[in-house]
Amino acid sequence: MKANWQLFSGLAIFYFAMALVYYYVGGEAVGITGMILAGCLSGMVGFYIWFTQKRIGFDIPSDDLNGEIADDAGELGFYSPHSWWPLPVAFCATGIGVGLIVGWWLVVIFLGALIFSIIGFVTEYEKPLPSTSAHH
Amino acid sequence: MTTIAERPAIATPRQGVEKRDSWGRQFVKTITSTDHKRIGYLYLATSFAWFLVGGILALFLRAELSRPGMQFLSNEQYNQIFTMHGTIMLLLFSTSLFIGFANVIMPLQIGAADVAFPRMNMLSYWLYFFGSIMTVAGFLTPGGSASFGWTAYAPLSNSTYSPGIGGDLWIVGLTISGLGTILGGVNFITTIFTMRAPGMTMFRMSIFSWNTLLTSILVLLAFPPLAAALLALESDRLFGSHIFDPANGGAMLWQHLFWFFGHPEVYILALPFFGIVTEILPVFSRKPIFGYKGLIAATIAIAALSVAVWAHHMFATGQVLLPFFSFMTFLIGVPTGVKFFNWIGTMWRGHVSFESPMLFVMGFLVTFLFGGITGIILASPPLDFAVSATYFVVAHFHYVLFGTVVFAMFAGFYFWWPKFTGRMLNERLAKVHFWTLFFGFHMTFLIQHWLGIKGFPRRYADYLASDGFTEMNMFSTVGSALLALSMIPFFINVWITRKSPLVESDDPWGYGSSLEWATSCPPPRHNFLSMPRIRSERPAFDLHHPHIKTEGH
Repeated sequence: MKANWQLFSGLAIFYFAMALVYYYVGGEAVGITGMILAGCLSGMVGFYIWFTQKRIGFDIPSDDLNGEIADDAGELGFYSPHSWWPLPVAFCATGIGVGLIVGWWLVVIFLGALIFSIIGFVTEYEKPLPSTSAHH
Repeated sequence: MTTIAERPAIATPRQGVEKRDSWGRQFVKTITSTDHKRIGYLYLATSFAWFLVGGILALFLRAELSRPGMQFLSNEQYNQIFTMHGTIMLLLFSTSLFIGFANVIMPLQIGAADVAFPRMNMLSYWLYFFGSIMTVAGFLTPGGSASFGWTAYAPLSNSTYSPGIGGDLWIVGLTISGLGTILGGVNFITTIFTMRAPGMTMFRMSIFSWNTLLTSILVLLAFPPLAAALLALESDRLFGSHIFDPANGGAMLWQHLFWFFGHPEVYILALPFFGIVTEILPVFSRKPIFGYKGLIAATIAIAALSVAVWAHHMFATGQVLLPFFSFMTFLIGVPTGVKFFNWIGTMWRGHVSFESPMLFVMGFLVTFLFGGITGIILASPPLDFAVSATYFVVAHFHYVLFGTVVFAMFAGFYFWWPKFTGRMLNERLAKVHFWTLFFGFHMTFLIQHWLGIKGFPRRYADYLASDGFTEMNMFSTVGSALLALSMIPFFINVWITRKSPLVESDDPWGYGSSLEWATSCPPPRHNFLSMPRIRSERPAFDLHHPHIKTEGH
């Protein structure tokens, strides 16, 4: 599919061009920086999508004009049925924010809790590595 | 000529009714959910709750302004209330309302089983939930909440002029809530790029999904600068850094950074609701969208131009390039005009019927058009100087934002309520709701244009009887009471239809176009038991009306 990386690259080109125009007509530094960074972000996303599609192939059933629903048949992929972990991660992040205002002791407590809950979040569906001392 | 078909009865066998969970079980299911629809409903409900809070704050403001003299608020309380009214309505209500609608509807429209990152979706929601409570929590502190306006201009927002914990809670709360918004944007972009059903090419996607994509891109461009600016401001307040110190140009730096976020934010609020309107119009005009690709091009143009117009909020500083920003702002009126052209073209010679969703779309078209016209006036610096920081500007942005967000929100609620719940809302109450909302809104805000031209400044808690503002302010306050009362028919409607008969069809409106009308009401856990072949941008219409040939894209 070309539309997605072209969309982002097109935006990047437009933002760079706008930065140039704005510089040329005498714009101030914040706006020039902002538009260049906006261009960099869009360019980065566009490049990543183009690069990834080059690697995995541009033809996916979604972009096939004559695609049939059955083309995507088989396993849908893994979907988490439900998860407790987002709640503590967000709660601890907010706790750190409150800690910034209330006192550093709170930041320390919630930072520890946040690290713990991020580990929980990330490893929720990790399976343990196959044991090397397997008994065949 | 438009071909008209008899409305066929589309019946699909309903699945066996599941046993209802206990309240406790449902609660746990909800707070641990990774289902995009359930998370979407959480977003919709939470943002609607904030809409009510923000609305009640607005009523305080209107009551205080109804007569000269301080009625029941102090100046400081008045400042706190208008600050939180703006913050709640823009960032806690409208932005997350977009995420709510996009969460529920977009995966259905592209034929996906869920969003790309279901757990991150829930993380976004919790960040928004806790962040939003933190933002408003200042009301519970002795010093009260933030009172520097939702724009938090430096140096007013520094620790000298706005001491107290309320401002800090506001800054950090918005940073956290904004983080949730960014994650939501990443999620939607990935979902649209990678999870469309076979045959659902980019240029067969519904306009709402396209607008969700472009809004998410704007989120990625706009919210990180806001987060950076907010954290820098907090560092000024907490650690005494001098980033926004006016001595080294910090006052202008803040305005530039804030509006570099703030203007795309306006389009983040507008585009998804344009999308909702574009979904509803063809269904009640019995015609395909007029100029599908033109609409997409217009949305892309708006998304591109929106990062180059920010300083039109800063004309009155006298330190920005007036011709550049004025020109760019006029330019962005063009794609918006294209959209209006397409909306009217969709209705043109169609068989328009005025069910409640369409009625609210009409309210949107009228209100937003008016806001757009005053926007053109304000884009001209000489005219802007005359009315800057008066009620003319207040009236302008309420027409723009209430027109898009609130009218389109209710249009979306009435339109998709059967899809959300399996039950239709009552049409008669919907009409009462619409007309009270419509007249309440226009009574409140139309007169504020004249109030502004006469010179009544915004953000003032009081005025003198000799100023001659009293009658117009009283009129506006009475209108705001009517506007508030218009919510009552809606609540009654939701309540009385909670046990009304289930709709027996996938497509209760009869002419639904996009894919969400090809699955049951409400859809099953992973959305589709079977999916029609996708050959145009109206797959559900092609499925239900196979004898009418749609032009494929």
